[in-house]
Amino acid sequence: MSSQARAAGWVSAQGHYAGAASRFLAFIVDAVISWGLFSAALAGISFSINVITGHSVAWHRGNIVVTVIFAAWELFYFGYCWGAGGKTPGMAVLGVRVVRADGADIDPWRGAVRALAFPLSFLFCGLGFVGILLQREHRALHDLIAGTAVVYAWDARASRLRFLARG
Amino acid sequence: MDPFDRLRSARKRVADPLESLAQRVAERVIDLVVQSLDVNELVQRIDVNAVLDEVDIDGTLSRVDANNLLSHVDVDMLLSDVDVDALLGRVDVDALIGRVDVDALLRHVDMDALLSHVDVNALVRRIDMDTLVQQTDLGAVIAKSSGGMASVALDAVRGQAVGMDRWIDRWVRRLLRRKGTGLLAPPALLNPEAGS
Repeated sequence: MSSQARAAGWVSAQGHYAGAASRFLAFIVDAVISWGLFSAALAGISFSINVITGHSVAWHRGNIVVTVIFAAWELFYFGYCWGAGGKTPGMAVLGVRVVRADGADIDPWRGAVRALAFPLSFLFCGLGFVGILLQREHRALHDLIAGTAVVYAWDARASRLRFLARG
Repeated sequence: MDPFDRLRSARKRVADPLESLAQRVAERVIDLVVQSLDVNELVQRIDVNAVLDEVDIDGTLSRVDANNLLSHVDVDMLLSDVDVDALLGRVDVDALIGRVDVDALLRHVDMDALLSHVDVNALVRRIDMDTLVQQTDLGAVIAKSSGGMASVALDAVRGQAVGMDRWIDRWVRRLLRRKGTGLLAPPALLNPEAGS
């Protein structure tokens, strides 16, 4: 398949249900970003405490407080991004977004519900994600609970123009 | 002497003075008529247009040797009397240029031949590169170039991801023996007007 024909294929994907690879890659990007931000915040807090009190603070992975704060942070990160704009930074990079099951824009409370239901998909070895592979609409467990779906939101028209401009 | 000859001689003696007298009388009469004639009044009564209508100008001009006529004209002397500035001042250049079909004109221009006469190296040497660089927003150029590269990379990543999505989807459909293209979309996005 020629590169131009491949580009034409990408254009036709806009608005359709996003597949497993795009969603997984978006999640990986989000995981890296959210973990990086969390680590930077912990490092900043440790440095501040060290400067103010003179005592060094070490954060351990097994620390329950750190785990709870990390879980809350992840909940906020995904919930806020989905509720505010329908996409996380990782989803923006991969060109996908969350919409309501009927395709309308997602509302904030539905984004929050999706974020709360998201951990459930990880249970039983990620059984909740199987729907992305097997279902026609590529909806995971948290999508079914929140009444959402993920579609390609990539501005394919502009992309194709850029592609054609590049020759 | 023959009587006929005598008669002829007598007639001649009488005719010559009479003829001379008639000539003088006619000249005098014509002179008096011309003096008493108002030429301007006469010309005004002539229908010049009617006269000219009956003149075969084309035929007359066809008999004129124009080259021969022009060969007698001193064009330089003629042009020396022409005030070219005043003449050009009366020309509406904008209107004149507006009537020119520049596209048609350029179609007749051999650009390759034209450019072959241009010494590009000499032209480039005349450019003040320092001023050019100072006036160029290199930051914007670099930012635009970087943005373009980032856009290319992003398009490539997204394109690869969509390709993988389709590959996985194809295999799943094959394993599940499911028919269809697999390209489904929510109703509002299939028909955007329905979702708005």
